Amino acid sequence: MTDRIMVDGMSAPRFSVPLELRAVAITLALGALGYTLFPDDLAFLTRLISITLLVLSLDLVTGYCGVATLGHAAIYGVSAYVVGNACLAGHSDPLLLLLVGAVAGAVMGLVSGLLVTRFKGLPQLVLSIAVGQLIAALANKLSSLTGGSDGLSGISPGRLFGVYAFDMYGRTGYVFSVAVLMVVFVVLLRIVHSPFGLLCQAIKDDSLRARMIGARVYPRLVLMYGVSGVVGGIGGALNAINTGVVGLDSVGFERSAEALVMLVLGGAGSLWGALIGSIVFQVFEHYVSAANPFHWMTMVGALLIAVVLFAPKGLVSLGGLLAGRAASLLRRRP
Amino acid sequence: MSLRFGLVGAVAIATAWISPAQCDTIKVGIIGTMSGPYALFGQNFKYGIDAWVAKHGSKVGDHQIEFVYRDEESPNPAKSKSLAQELIVKEKVQYIAGLYFTPDALAVAPLLEEAKVPMIVMNAATSAIVEKSPYIVRTSFTMWQNTVPAAKVAKARAAKKVAIAVSDYGPGIDAEAAFKKTFEADGGTIVQSVRMPLNTTDFGPIMQRIKDSGADMIFTFLPAGPPTLGFVKAYIDNGLKASGVKLLSTGDVVTEPDLPNIGDSGEGILSTYHYAVSHDSPENKTFLADMVKAGAKPDDITMASVAAYDGARLIYKMVEATNGQKDPDKALAAVKGMKWVSPRGPVSIDPDTRHIRQNVYLREVVKQDGKFLNKELQTFDAQPDWGLAKN
Repeated sequence: MTDRIMVDGMSAPRFSVPLELRAVAITLALGALGYTLFPDDLAFLTRLISITLLVLSLDLVTGYCGVATLGHAAIYGVSAYVVGNACLAGHSDPLLLLLVGAVAGAVMGLVSGLLVTRFKGLPQLVLSIAVGQLIAALANKLSSLTGGSDGLSGISPGRLFGVYAFDMYGRTGYVFSVAVLMVVFVVLLRIVHSPFGLLCQAIKDDSLRARMIGARVYPRLVLMYGVSGVVGGIGGALNAINTGVVGLDSVGFERSAEALVMLVLGGAGSLWGALIGSIVFQVFEHYVSAANPFHWMTMVGALLIAVVLFAPKGLVSLGGLLAGRAASLLRRRP
Repeated sequence: MSLRFGLVGAVAIATAWISPAQCDTIKVGIIGTMSGPYALFGQNFKYGIDAWVAKHGSKVGDHQIEFVYRDEESPNPAKSKSLAQELIVKEKVQYIAGLYFTPDALAVAPLLEEAKVPMIVMNAATSAIVEKSPYIVRTSFTMWQNTVPAAKVAKARAAKKVAIAVSDYGPGIDAEAAFKKTFEADGGTIVQSVRMPLNTTDFGPIMQRIKDSGADMIFTFLPAGPPTLGFVKAYIDNGLKASGVKLLSTGDVVTEPDLPNIGDSGEGILSTYHYAVSHDSPENKTFLADMVKAGAKPDDITMASVAAYDGARLIYKMVEATNGQKDPDKALAAVKGMKWVSPRGPVSIDPDTRHIRQNVYLREVVKQDGKFLNKELQTFDAQPDWGLAKN
């Protein structure tokens, strides 16, 4: 099985449950944990999941393909706006909206992929920012489609399966979001460990060499960008469905930058890293900003500095470190 | 490991700041711009409320009132909505108040009826907000309210050709419409109308367009905050002031904390607004003294603190009327038609629109004893929200 070759640099456990099953178990456990520990915070947790999908999407291109981008929110935001408009136009089935978001995201991903992956290094970064800013400016100008600075509001999706309403307490939204996250995560695990995913990582490590062994680099990267677009688009769709409002912030530069920060915090190049990073960052931010709405940004800054100092490869490497130490302790036992 | 402990410690300290809830505590959630570029106004919400509490105690009857603050940061409707949701579901607040930006207030509005929570808007100034839910009251102002007098001033000061420059979002569009309608009805001409994106920082090109339009007066609105300073500076630096083009604005553009930064060249800027910190009345004197006691620096006080002070008055009245029960209809009924003398002058809550009726003043930036202030020149009595008034 190629599955186990690249598990985040950790030594593969000898007898183990398939990776996908573990992922299902872990996301479900996390979901249940969130529901039981914070039953009054579901709205926040739902928003967290939506952003997590954006971070996962960013991980696919930045972590796995080495594409530097600071405009990824464009995918997320555009899909949120498309979903919002679809809902306002009367297509209010949540599953249909999710599909609309995925398609919109795929299109955005492929288009920005075509542009951004043509270049490397700094030009690539600048181009990604340019794409992001262009989309943000358009979103501000086309206020008939986006509501401009006032935001696109009044989005009220129908009941899930015709039964469960998306209400203020956010239970439906939460369960729905956890389920979506789980499916996406498992599929992504499959993809990044597939020959296609491994080839992308090879391109990231040494694109010249990948070309020498016959890989067509550019189409692969664009394709991965498309996959990433689907994931980001689903995130944007969840955002529109759950909050019922889409604002300019969802396409903004800050959203892109924040996603990158979360990814680096958790550890780029690992889906687990993206997951951990976005959860830790947002939970921390949520609690600190509620406890002290006036000076919370300072605390968030302190967290980031601490992580960069103590775990420069992200929190996931810290996990690997601890696991490694625990394993060696076990081994030493007679 | 030290990282782990650091994190745990930080979270522990952070949570320790939240004071424990007491029995029969009525919670009021305040959503305001507590950090970032607009932090001054969020802090003004807090000072205004603190000043009210310091004066009138933290209890209404047997009910302890507790204010819970959340940070809306910037125009971010999705975040504001989820903050409101959190306040309602988790903190179980009976009232929501604050709301600096229109998009944020509009995002929260749909929650109110389901949650049976009244909302007291302490800043957001688009007329339509109060129409989004019967549970919304506003103690700040609207663009129409402050702009209609501005258009009358323009006419009275013999302006013929006016260029309008407003921020491109709800309140800006309201201001543009209000000015245009009133001024054109009085026979004036609008020669140029510019909508500036909210995040504009370079106003040079806009000034050039206005210059080319041959206007003899500019009417402008931008939300109070850092950009207003940039706008006024660009107006002066591009030579419009020197060439005799007058600047007329709503008071948002010349809030008192910005005046020292604008400096001497700002003298003579006209604005119409509902509150000047220099307003001469005994109520305002006491209010300013209470504000300083509550910890505000005298130079940091703005209109947001007055709206919060009066908003707290409404909340106390609502709690009293409902005896601490969750009864939004009764609460709203209690404040409709309410009249009092605010630090800004005599005010009342219009029973039909649930918006505050108040005097609007024409002011001019002057230097007095080395300090800049907005000197009141003329009073427009008891202005309704012209955007909603049925006339």
